[in-house]
Amino acid sequence: MTKKVKNRLIKILLSLLILIIAVLIITLNLRDNIVYFYSPTELLKMQTNETKIMRVGGLVKKNSINSDGSKKFTFIITDEISEINVVFQGILPNLFAEEKGAVVEGSYVNNSLFRADKVLAKHDENYMPPEVINALKDNGKWQGQ
Amino acid sequence: MAGTMSEILSFVATFSLIICLIISLYQMRLFFIKYDTTKNNHLLFSSVQLSSCFFSFAILIYIFLTSNFDFQIVHSNSHSDKPFIYKFSGAWGNHEGSLLMWILILTIFNFLFVIYDSSNFKLRNKIIANQSFLILGFLAFCLFMSSPFTLMEESFSQGLGLNPILQDPLLAIHPPVLYLGYVGFSLVFSFAIAGMLQDKVDQEWAIALKPWILVAWIFLTLGIALGSFWAYYELGWGGYWFWDPVENASLMPWLSATALLHCIIVLEKRNTLQSWTILLSILTFSLSLIGTFLVRSGVLNSVHTFASDPGRGLFILLFLALVLFFSFSLFATKGSLLEKKSSFGAISRESGILVNNWLLLTILFIVFLGTIYPLFIDLVLEKSLTVGPQFYVVTITPILILLIMFMTITPLVGWTKGSFSQAFIKIKYSLIFSLTLAFAISLYFSLFPVTQIIILFLSFSLIATSLFLGVNLYKKNIFVKSILGRTLSHAGFGLFIVSVIANATYSEEKIYDAKVKDILELNEHQFVFEKVNRVEGENYSSIQAVFNLLRDDKPINQFTPEIRFYNDPPTATSETSIVQGVFKDIYIVMNVPQYQDSISVRIHIKPFMNFIWLGVLMIIIGGIFSIFQRVKSA
Repeated sequence: MTKKVKNRLIKILLSLLILIIAVLIITLNLRDNIVYFYSPTELLKMQTNETKIMRVGGLVKKNSINSDGSKKFTFIITDEISEINVVFQGILPNLFAEEKGAVVEGSYVNNSLFRADKVLAKHDENYMPPEVINALKDNGKWQGQ
Repeated sequence: MAGTMSEILSFVATFSLIICLIISLYQMRLFFIKYDTTKNNHLLFSSVQLSSCFFSFAILIYIFLTSNFDFQIVHSNSHSDKPFIYKFSGAWGNHEGSLLMWILILTIFNFLFVIYDSSNFKLRNKIIANQSFLILGFLAFCLFMSSPFTLMEESFSQGLGLNPILQDPLLAIHPPVLYLGYVGFSLVFSFAIAGMLQDKVDQEWAIALKPWILVAWIFLTLGIALGSFWAYYELGWGGYWFWDPVENASLMPWLSATALLHCIIVLEKRNTLQSWTILLSILTFSLSLIGTFLVRSGVLNSVHTFASDPGRGLFILLFLALVLFFSFSLFATKGSLLEKKSSFGAISRESGILVNNWLLLTILFIVFLGTIYPLFIDLVLEKSLTVGPQFYVVTITPILILLIMFMTITPLVGWTKGSFSQAFIKIKYSLIFSLTLAFAISLYFSLFPVTQIIILFLSFSLIATSLFLGVNLYKKNIFVKSILGRTLSHAGFGLFIVSVIANATYSEEKIYDAKVKDILELNEHQFVFEKVNRVEGENYSSIQAVFNLLRDDKPINQFTPEIRFYNDPPTATSETSIVQGVFKDIYIVMNVPQYQDSISVRIHIKPFMNFIWLGVLMIIIGGIFSIFQRVKSA
């Protein structure tokens, strides 16, 4: 083998190795770090022994927000068909309110109870998360433009 | 009905853009004229292109400053109560205005190129022609699909306002700086096209191109840093980078540009890697295009916002496809011919730089995948999902380790043929020093996992080696200026990584329900909640909480987090209050008291934040030094 061929071979092998490792790591990680979004109806229909982190979104039901006086809140997220009870401990975002759109991230416990680690809400009063709009549209309950 | 004055303004501004359009079309004839004949014509035409766009842009700013609600763009994005600076910056805080700013910057770079290029540079005609082609394309988009000068059908006495979260001085300058970066790469792209058309991609080409890459890269880095700093103190989540699609869109061209910045050095010094340089130039500009327009048209956040305004998104995609198609077909025919036969050994500085190029592109690929995958799944399977930040952290870490390793070693290895052992001998003291330091730190703090200790060690070696090399060459009095830029940037990158790790490991946050006179404790810190004030701002009213940080029962720092209630549009924002120390920031946010009689307060301790910013600053200053070195030796 001439020196030139040897050099080229080293380069090709090295790049192949890096490529394989990279693709492996990336795909494995992507699989572990995907957070799916469900509407309450979809969530209830699913096989529910899933422990993965997921997101659920819809409207916050009227008169459903309760607090035990400290940082623990319970409220109901609805897509006007099904309802999910949410438990959350922490600070609610500024624009979290009844009959507004909200998305919660956390895990499903059982019997339509969801433990949220995060409550996501954007800083605009008219903002509705696109996922929520779609979920409502799918149900035929969407009333916006 | 719009007033006569508004109609005149709208007409004049549009007309001015049409002049620029016609001249750009005329300038495209240069594609077919081989050699430069009269430099004066270039100067004349490019200054008309620049001034006509500038004139239009000035009118845009004028209608914002005078709150002329006859214009759609002002009506939907401004409000007469807005403070002066946000009326000003509101001009580019929206799709149409930012597009006009993008075009203006295109003409600025075109003009600067005409002024600064070396007089016997053979590619000038084709570069100007290509730049004019880009101006033409975007102007057509601006005029026919999203004109900022469209008048309202009926009159309104008031506008809808600007999203309060965007009402921040940093966010006023963040877009222009970022755009100077993005658009700067248009010139790099034009160089690549011209080089391929003329079969001239050589050392002279690289020397002429390098300063432009540096200028664009510096602005892009600064732009990203400003955005990140804004996110840190305005969003109130305590973080400075969220792997949000919009942030990723600016990171992707940066990664590609950084690769380009290094491979142009190889071309400049060793006259090799021609086709690779061309490829990176095209890639960087394409990613800049994606970065700006897909963000602005909302495609990245959701496929469905895209559907709400299909015209705009479609035009950009078509234009991007056109640019990609032509540049890649040109590359397919010319690319292999450009490559000069000059080989280098497997262990050489060229190889080191090439490996780091791959590593940067791998990171780019990861970011791209994480950003595009949810879009893809949404389109194909109609399922919504998000990719968590953990994906990026875990996936990028091993590549980062390799990247820092090669960053440390490569500058020590000679061109064409070098040796690792010699390189290691050169830096044995800094390696030993770094290893000891990393060990000492991991023993003392015992909080760091193994991966982090490895990265800490490597980053220390990078800093020590960069400084060592800089000082050594300074003593020998050779290449002082050319080394200084690299030394600063590389050491800055090391400092940045060290600080990011320390920050991630030692950040703390705690949430409290607080009533007035409560004392909140976090680690050794004690905060006393003094009182609540009501504050009236120019276009908002706010609730302000006052906290004092105590030392020996005496107040030493005061914090005043706020919640602001804006009227138009009706929105509430939390304003953070940050006290920056040398080694740590203390950061307090509060939220609207809802359904309870106390307020919610979150206190963050963020160590090493200043060093993160310092690291970035060093990277930028290093880049600036590299430009000046070129000017001086030329």
